[in-house]
Amino acid sequence: MRPRLAAAAVGIIFGVTLCWSGMSNPDVIRQALLFERAYLFLFFASAVAVATLGTATIRRLRRRAVLADAPLVFSRERPTRRHIIGSLIFGVGWGVADACPGPIATQVGQAMPWAACTLAGLALGIALFLRAGRTETEPPSDVPAGVGTASHPPAPAPVPSGVR
Amino acid sequence: MVVCRLLFNGRLGVTGGFSELIGQIGRRSLEFDWRGWFLIGVVLGGTLFMALAGGRLFDGYGWLTETFHGAGGGIAIAAILFGAGVLIGYGAKLAGGCTSGNGLSGVSLLSPASLVATATFFGTAIVVSFLIKALI
Repeated sequence: MRPRLAAAAVGIIFGVTLCWSGMSNPDVIRQALLFERAYLFLFFASAVAVATLGTATIRRLRRRAVLADAPLVFSRERPTRRHIIGSLIFGVGWGVADACPGPIATQVGQAMPWAACTLAGLALGIALFLRAGRTETEPPSDVPAGVGTASHPPAPAPVPSGVR
Repeated sequence: MVVCRLLFNGRLGVTGGFSELIGQIGRRSLEFDWRGWFLIGVVLGGTLFMALAGGRLFDGYGWLTETFHGAGGGIAIAAILFGAGVLIGYGAKLAGGCTSGNGLSGVSLLSPASLVATATFFGTAIVVSFLIKALI
């Protein structure tokens, strides 16, 4: 129960942050993608900077996950064709809807009627991918390649980044 | 992102949460892993912020509701958002993550795949936005 509550709490903080920062508003995303406002890019860059510093910190302080029986693994992947093709497809959808999965989730939480349409499409897109039996591309954790569970097939081989 | 790594050795990613919920529900199970509960939290975060703010953060839906009007316009908006949603869901799964999974989590680890994916989807979305602006 503790991991579930902790994950939900982290999700609530993430969702509130997305709303507070304006990222759930399609107008904010569109203005950024049209280079009318630098806000999205500055927000994104600051989030990446904090995440990079935080990751470097826990890398030095801890070896195992707090709520999972697993060592902390900081793996990197080599780019393949699917990363480019998938991102091209994703980018078209993002540019049209001006919302990505996080903001769509917060729009659903705000009971926005239009979000139901995007959510239905998003669910169908993911279901089509899963139904096609494609290799799971988002592992529940960065476990070594070949390690999976019945409900979560093995992840593609990550490239350990080593100690920086 | 840092907390997800620290608590679960997991990568923060909203698409992963959607995938977990859809996959498990498809297997007629409600036993979600941490990613599913994270997504439920994100949805609740939207609800909580709306409650604290005293209402929704915006009305309409950007360029779509400014461009399309009436009953026919409503159907067009619904169809466009549905189609865009399909592309977002399938594309994010194929790419191994969305703006949070690849963009935030992967880039902060300097994962080459995430750097390529993030540059690709940002570039594509920018081109699409300018194309839409030119067309409407």
